[in-house]
Amino acid sequence: MDTQKDGYETTEKGLGSLLEARFMSRRDFLKLSGISVIALTALNPFIARGGAGPLIIMEQAKGLVISEPTRCVGCRRCELACTEYNDGKAKPSIARIKVGRNMNFGPKGLYASQNGQGNWGNGLIIQDLCKQCPHPVPCADACPNDAIVVSPPTNARVVDKEKCIGCKMCQKACPWEMMVFDSDNNKATKCFLCKGSPKCVEACPAGALSYVNWVDLTREVPPRIAQVVVTSPEKGSSCNTCHKKR
Amino acid sequence: MKKYGGWAGKVLRVNLSDRKISIEDTIEKYRDFLGGTGIGYKVFWDEVLPGTKPFDPENKIVFAVGPLAGTGAPCNGRTAITTLWPTCWPKALIGTGHMGGNFAAELKYAGYDAIIIEGKANKPVWISIVDEKVTINDAGHIWGQGIRRTTIELSRILGSEASVAAIGQAGENLVPMSVVMNSYSHSAGGVGAVMGSKNLKAIAVRGTGGISIAGNREEWERLIKYHLSLLGANNQHVVPNSPQPWAEFYDPASRWLASKGRAWGASSPVIETGPCDPRDLNRIAYRTNNAAFYLGEIAWKYTVRGSGCTGCPIRCHTMIKIPSAAAKYGIPEIGMNTCGGLNFGRSFFRNFPDGMRGLTNVEACMVGMHMADDYGIWCNYGQLQRDFQKLYYEGIIKNKLGEKEFKSYSWDKYEKGDPSFLFELLPRIAFKEGELGTALGLGTGAHLERWGLSESEWKKDPKLNYWKMGHPKHHSNEEVGQCGVIINTQYNRDAQCHSHTNFVRNGLPLEVQKRLAEEIWGTPDAVDGVGAYTPMNVGKARMAKWSLLRKELHDSLSLCNWMGPWVASPLKNRNYRGDDTIESMLYTLATGDRKSREELDLIAERIFLLHRAITIRDMNTKEMRKEHDTIPDWVFYDPQKRPVYTKGTIHLDPKDMELAMDMFYQEMGWDRTTGAPTYETYRKVGLEEVAKELKKRGLLP
Ligand code: SF4
Ligand code: SF4
Repeated sequence: MDTQKDGYETTEKGLGSLLEARFMSRRDFLKLSGISVIALTALNPFIARGGAGPLIIMEQAKGLVISEPTRCVGCRRCELACTEYNDGKAKPSIARIKVGRNMNFGPKGLYASQNGQGNWGNGLIIQDLCKQCPHPVPCADACPNDAIVVSPPTNARVVDKEKCIGCKMCQKACPWEMMVFDSDNNKATKCFLCKGSPKCVEACPAGALSYVNWVDLTREVPPRIAQVVVTSPEKGSSCNTCHKKR
Repeated sequence: MKKYGGWAGKVLRVNLSDRKISIEDTIEKYRDFLGGTGIGYKVFWDEVLPGTKPFDPENKIVFAVGPLAGTGAPCNGRTAITTLWPTCWPKALIGTGHMGGNFAAELKYAGYDAIIIEGKANKPVWISIVDEKVTINDAGHIWGQGIRRTTIELSRILGSEASVAAIGQAGENLVPMSVVMNSYSHSAGGVGAVMGSKNLKAIAVRGTGGISIAGNREEWERLIKYHLSLLGANNQHVVPNSPQPWAEFYDPASRWLASKGRAWGASSPVIETGPCDPRDLNRIAYRTNNAAFYLGEIAWKYTVRGSGCTGCPIRCHTMIKIPSAAAKYGIPEIGMNTCGGLNFGRSFFRNFPDGMRGLTNVEACMVGMHMADDYGIWCNYGQLQRDFQKLYYEGIIKNKLGEKEFKSYSWDKYEKGDPSFLFELLPRIAFKEGELGTALGLGTGAHLERWGLSESEWKKDPKLNYWKMGHPKHHSNEEVGQCGVIINTQYNRDAQCHSHTNFVRNGLPLEVQKRLAEEIWGTPDAVDGVGAYTPMNVGKARMAKWSLLRKELHDSLSLCNWMGPWVASPLKNRNYRGDDTIESMLYTLATGDRKSREELDLIAERIFLLHRAITIRDMNTKEMRKEHDTIPDWVFYDPQKRPVYTKGTIHLDPKDMELAMDMFYQEMGWDRTTGAPTYETYRKVGLEEVAKELKKRGLLP
């Protein structure tokens, strides 16, 4: 795969207003990325060139870590287990489970103040987790280097450190802000399910996390940010190949 | 230079007078003192001259953590704060306060092991630390505000993940009985007014970096899981408080409250704790419920969940939800804290309309917590409330106050146990309003002096728990006989040592404790049953030394001495053994600096001796036995006049206690006549320079 050399263009389209109103459904996502792709293909001279196809992930991750917020006691041992046992350092900013950011004031942050969630609100602490998204996988699709790849045995998408150039496109693409960036090595990282026995699940002293067979939570969990759709033209065209057939 | 894990590597020095911000290398300058109180004492020995007073600009405040803070080592959340202690009386000496919460971890992630605050700002300021960016900022907009508002406003600037350590109005107004507080409910007493004297409202920290673990990561993971397997409930109580299917023993005094049928009743929906088999590491957080421990069964239905420090599975803070308190008193319906903070409001009252275990008691907690934790008032380990009760019920308050001021309080409400009385009292402490508010805010020593009362009266009353120098006992002869008394003689405030009590209160039967004691201190006689004491022996002296060294070790590594040491465990298959090498294994793997238990003990002794040396230097006497290590009369007195060592009594024999001090000094290698460490003892722990300096001052025995 040499998409990088082929040159690529990306388009970023903020979908803030749409997402604020309600959860984004998968179909919305497809439609909208489809639109941006059409616009691109019209302009893109590379479309006819063929060559190695872009990475499209159709395999589904087998498992998923889910959480029960009412059990969470805000100890952050999950974040610490994630980074110490996988990366050899205590660094919650790169943990692939996110508790700290919701712990004080809840996902809405300070704007909800003492009327919100978290330690300063009603006490509820939401743990943010990777949804192991089904196709189209926002983070993987956004990666201009196809660095986010399927990895057995869990089929979770993982960041291939060799390929990642630290451009942070994936971070912008994940609606749940689950892509993290390690400033120490200039690489992105994401939840890779610890080869099927997630460290965070083992570490939780409150039994608030479980590793289960994959279910689609992408429709259930409200996104944290206004997603930015980032699609390279190659990927856009291959979307069209499948999705435009009537 | 060798690269170490564990430490962040930098110490931040902020001079508020000339606004100079500088960085020091932790390893180079402080590695021999580990961190925490070790760094604090080192700075005070080197830099703060004897004769300095707490509110002088020359006094410093050292916020310090150790190599384990912010890592996955269980129970690493406490920040040690060292300064000249404003409630230490009659002369302020060095002391430390310890706050949990998220501050310690956040500071490490920002890249610092300690912050040394010096000088005095010419107007109110707050310090912002965002990774390597450190600034001193104008605090005009938050000066005069409570801790809660301050935290919210500074979090708006640094983001909601920041940890803010702030003082309230009490600290601003230089009320000695004031705290610094972070993460909603985690405070360190005594420090508030020292910050106030420097015009420092808050330190807000946001860190996005990491702490590297030097050792092999699989080994680290195994060690952490091993350590977790040895944990009990809060205070390392290793048996449940009621019979459980998994447990061979139980002890009604245990803090391991979880049981089938007990539930976090205000969680939505309700969560049953279940029996919490100790082998299930995914249920550690359900073992402890300190609201129910202190307030009784009634607290279960109001419990939302546990809470506590970063990285700690124990959750000694309990979050409770009391809608009736919100409705009646206009406070938030949710609150959380532990021990002193939780009990702050209720402890003023002698009775409540619905009894000591009813809802009013719980409501008084809520009112007290929300007010004290916002104004930033300190309880001095409950001495404030015990003094208050005595002063009121013995008519002293009435005598000392002018009629007008006395009548301005609703004493009928107070006597009935109406929590709204706290709205009359607490603001006047925080704002130094009137004679009563001002006097209570001074702390016991200065308060007694102001009112012409005699400290020796306080030392006689067994109900007051008063020890010396303005401060109360902290786990003394009521639990650990002579060993507890020795420990309580050693500090310049309450002793804050849990090593000894966590062992004798762990709930295991005496035979088991004695078996473990033999392994740890060489003789089963080191421990007695609580309130079934026997004469002094060398095992008790060894236990006292070990306890003090473990305290300083924990306060320097950043392990919680309220949870450690871990020399007993809930595990039957280990014969309830814990592991006394946990600290050295954690230290070695985290930092990459291999140290055995004995080697770490030597560092702990160095740290403890430095505290002793500073105290001797600043008191300018070597007569520690006579002038410092004193024991209040109530320790030797039984209200029912039973002979000493009668089962059920906790009083001790004065002669035997003299022997106990002899044996302790000997165990420490200190001079028995004066209680001062010898040149050789300082030299052995690597403090020869300190010994030389003391020699110059004529302060060696
Ligand atoms: S990182 Fe985000 S976009 Fe990628 S799979 Fe996880 S939840 Fe989906
Ligand atoms: S380990 Fe469990 S209780 Fe602790 S923060 Fe993570 S999810 Fe919450």
